Amino acid sequence: MGFLWTGTWILVLVLHSTPIQAFPKPGGIQDKSLHNRELSAERPLNEQIAEAEADKIKKTYPPENKPGDSNYSFVDNLNLLKAITEKEKIEKERQSIRSSSFDNKLNVEDVDSTKNRKLIDDYDSTKSGLDHKFQDDPDGLHQLDGTPLTAEDIVHKIATRIYEENDRGVFDKIVSKLLNLGLITENQAHTLEDEVAEALQKLISEEANNYEEELNKSTSRTENQAGKIPEKVTPMAAIQDGFTNGENDETVSNTLTLTNGLERRTKTYGEDDFEELQYFPNFYALLKSIDSVPSEKSHEETDSTKEEAAKMEKEYGALKDSTKDDNSNPGGKTDEPKGKTEAYLEAIRKNIEWLKKHDKKANKEDYDLSKMRDFINQQADAYVEKGILDKEEADAIKRIYSSL
Amino acid sequence: MAGQGGSALLALCVALAACGWLLGADAQEPGAPAAGMRRRRRLQQEDGISFEYHRYPELREALVSVWLQCTAISRIYTVGRSFEGRELLVIELSDNPGVHEPGEPEFKYIGNMHGNEAVGRELLIFLAQYLCNEYQKGNETIVNLIHNTRIHIMPSLNPDGFEKAASQPGELKDWFVGRSNAQGIDLNRNFPDLDRIVYLNEKEGGPNNHLLKNLKKIVDQNTKLAPETKAVIHWIMDIPFVLSANLHGGDLVANYPYDETRSGSAHEYSSCPDDAIFQSVARAYSSFNPAMSDPNRPPCRKNDDDSSFVDGTTNGGAWYSVPGGMQDFNYLSSNCFEITVELSCEKFPPEETLKSYWEDNKNSLISYLEQIHRGVKGFVRDLQGNPIANATISVEGIDHDITSAKDGDYWRLLVPGNYKLTASAPGYLAITKKVAVPYSPAVGVDFELESFSERKEEEKEELMEWWKMMSETLNF
Repeated sequence: MGFLWTGTWILVLVLHSTPIQAFPKPGGIQDKSLHNRELSAERPLNEQIAEAEADKIKKTYPPENKPGDSNYSFVDNLNLLKAITEKEKIEKERQSIRSSSFDNKLNVEDVDSTKNRKLIDDYDSTKSGLDHKFQDDPDGLHQLDGTPLTAEDIVHKIATRIYEENDRGVFDKIVSKLLNLGLITENQAHTLEDEVAEALQKLISEEANNYEEELNKSTSRTENQAGKIPEKVTPMAAIQDGFTNGENDETVSNTLTLTNGLERRTKTYGEDDFEELQYFPNFYALLKSIDSVPSEKSHEETDSTKEEAAKMEKEYGALKDSTKDDNSNPGGKTDEPKGKTEAYLEAIRKNIEWLKKHDKKANKEDYDLSKMRDFINQQADAYVEKGILDKEEADAIKRIYSSL
Repeated sequence: MAGQGGSALLALCVALAACGWLLGADAQEPGAPAAGMRRRRRLQQEDGISFEYHRYPELREALVSVWLQCTAISRIYTVGRSFEGRELLVIELSDNPGVHEPGEPEFKYIGNMHGNEAVGRELLIFLAQYLCNEYQKGNETIVNLIHNTRIHIMPSLNPDGFEKAASQPGELKDWFVGRSNAQGIDLNRNFPDLDRIVYLNEKEGGPNNHLLKNLKKIVDQNTKLAPETKAVIHWIMDIPFVLSANLHGGDLVANYPYDETRSGSAHEYSSCPDDAIFQSVARAYSSFNPAMSDPNRPPCRKNDDDSSFVDGTTNGGAWYSVPGGMQDFNYLSSNCFEITVELSCEKFPPEETLKSYWEDNKNSLISYLEQIHRGVKGFVRDLQGNPIANATISVEGIDHDITSAKDGDYWRLLVPGNYKLTASAPGYLAITKKVAVPYSPAVGVDFELESFSERKEEEKEELMEWWKMMSETLNF
């Protein structure tokens, strides 16, 4: 999305660039050498795009030549670019809505409140609200304070876009398109590359400093970022390495070196989308680091209390029931077991009665007494083990059931 | 049950006779003690419930009888042993005893934690029998309760203390003997004092629930905790109780959190974040007990200060400050809401009064049980339908969160009103829902949480889509 805008603005810049300074300074006078066929043909392109946005026309780029004959291919390209920029604008608007929803911590609808919140917003603490890319100027034509973009701004914007998307392909694609359209010369492409490289380098070192500061500030999130830091640093280092190594440096595929771009500009890029993710090493690293943090956390809260209760039960159940001594009472001992047995008998009788009635209701043919007997035997034994029944009681109960 | 009470009664009668039993309550049986006892016993029995004091053996046998009669819906278990080795027996009543059915709330009654406060112990034995009887009779209220609740009844948390109290000669029992456990520990002052911690957190920030961290270690290593206290703490941590009541004697009121005053003063209304629902459930108990809810009832003792009592209920701190109590411990260490019910002006009243105590309390006991089916309940799951245990459910405006149990199930007691509930869990994106809560039954609200990795997958796909679109459009 970003490179479309950078693409259009590169067109704008290219129109007014000088061989020495790649991009014009604000209010700068155009160099004669640029008053060529392409420039005069491009100006209407520039103006039409600017008008399509219905915003302030760039005053820094005063039109010096009248619009000339339009090349048919340029019109096609213009329309294509317009369509794309339109799409991108909508995309940007959508994204800025999403970013403002993020600020509402709780969505109070009955519907899922999480949809408006972007994961990275929640999770990636390196991006403060202001740094958030979705809060950039949606139409790309102005700075945040409304003043028109200068040449430096545009170079910076391209560099930023490359940095954020960690995608040297952004630049390559733009430049190769421009070359294919004949809008810039190879020399101009070189110069542009140098300027952007410089800006990108500056950006990287800036961001590295900011990042360190934020690291020191946030205590609670350092855990989360621990996974990310080394991975984020690596691509940055790779970028830097790429630039400092000079123009002719051949690098491995994952590092970003714009100097290598010249050779690849005329090549069409592969259709395989999944390979494209190599152009997003930062995001990939983020995904990986997010993976590791939840799996770490899930180990922390294992609930072991159920185990403990079972252990405790076992422990206490193994001890002998020492309360039997309480049973000894003068004059009542012989009565007691008889009375107790009567009571148990009565209870069992009521149980069987109810079960029969209950099973009848459930349309069961015959009440399964043997099953019941087994269950009672099992339970009685378990209860003896736990000290709930004593042995004689359990035997009595089993006897009663077996006699039914 | 005919014979087993015989020996106890005999012993009691002999003791009573020695103290001038003739002046006692039993005016109906002027004949020989033995015959009178048997007849009295018959009169005092009703549908298997014998309205007499049960010592430890009788208590055990009474519970076994209930189990034998209702094997399909009951189970006896023990949560541990008292200092002197008596089992802390619990009888559980539910349609699937021994099993926590996902979504089914768990309830407990605990009696007799002060050994000489005897009415609660007896009422709970009667209640177990009553629930069994009524279930088999097809009593719809009881059948529904047993099918939709898992009811745990512990008649005595302090069987050692009870034995001491019950063994006293004479009808009149001492106000203190048998109150503590066999070690002399007052169990209702023995729980970790979480009130102090929550008061600190209220001022300085900090969690508002589950304040006892690293529980097992603390409980097992704490030498000051009585075995009865430890057993209950394990019990509370093991079963996801939702509602509970702790039965006492010595006054007549339903008491609710917080028990300990914030300032440390002797009397001060100390409301907890759930003051509204606590008042409501306390009232649900007291309003069915005619004596408790009688506005014109004189205080138990002439000089008692019952100024804090409203409709038979009171805030704990407003009545008098109690630190280390079991009630507040429940609320601050787990999801369980517990009240303390004082059942009788006299801690250990004469046996003959037990029947009338049962009559006064049986409706209250059932009414309070039903309170568990209020508020909001449901499940917290992930997008694949797997339960998320230990998710936090917070209610806007109430500074007390609860958590989901092992099956992702939760129960949030609330008085009628409109609420916003938020379910959250580590690694997941939180969800908030609006709920309108009636008096009862509980409203079902489920949450399906999206994990971070799922969201990340979504975003990755979105990014891929964008890249695809750009590539296609620009013909790269």
